[in-house]
Amino acid sequence: MTDPASVQASLELTLKDEIVRMYQEVANNPTGEFHFFHGRDAAQLFDYAPEWLDRAPASAVASFAGVGNPHERSNLQPGETVLDLGSGAGLDAMIASWRVGRTGRVVGIDLNPAMCLKAQAHAAASGAKMECQEGRMEDIPLPVASVDVVISNGVINLSFRKRRVVEEMFRVLRPGGRISITDIVSAKQLSQSIVNDPKLWAS
Amino acid sequence: MFRLLEETGFSRVRSAVVPRFRFRKESTQNSAEAYGVKAVMMTALKPDPD
Repeated sequence: MTDPASVQASLELTLKDEIVRMYQEVANNPTGEFHFFHGRDAAQLFDYAPEWLDRAPASAVASFAGVGNPHERSNLQPGETVLDLGSGAGLDAMIASWRVGRTGRVVGIDLNPAMCLKAQAHAAASGAKMECQEGRMEDIPLPVASVDVVISNGVINLSFRKRRVVEEMFRVLRPGGRISITDIVSAKQLSQSIVNDPKLWAS
Repeated sequence: MFRLLEETGFSRVRSAVVPRFRFRKESTQNSAEAYGVKAVMMTALKPDPD
């Protein structure tokens, strides 16, 4: 009989590969057709300020694949430390960097080291200060109480272990720190066929 | 998610639906609606004991 923990671990590994593949595809082929809106059209739909989109490198904007606008209620202040969970091509991290200024710090975490490099290059090209670390949101590679604000955009829903992700956000936040996230939620339990299909889950 | 945030210890948990979120493909959007899938914005605070 197969151990449920190893089945879960195997599914998580397959899912990780699918997530890396899908979002790498958005970054590499931003004119492609995906099941979600992306790029400048999506960012404008979610009220990203036009001046942010004009200031960011075009390829960072074209790769945007968020589901809302976590900046609307983040109330970022100069000097704050911000963690962007699932930073992708870096648009949200860049905007955060402009808002916290040179005395602030923005750290992105992404599963895909190639996306981390891309995000840092985008940030550097736009005068933003952003560091990106390869890592998983279930094991955030940051110390306890080291962050003022966690932002995230359409990423936590991809995890099989959402409780663990929330616990990790709580761990890295300083007392008094806050989260401002946008994500996909479901009112009903998803069917097993969806849960077991990495392509559907990654969607 | 809302419940998870509260159970973990976050306070002042707030959520609001992202009004204009839709999947691009009509078939995906229809399936999403059948499952009550929506995009939400959530904010919460880690309490400061002081």
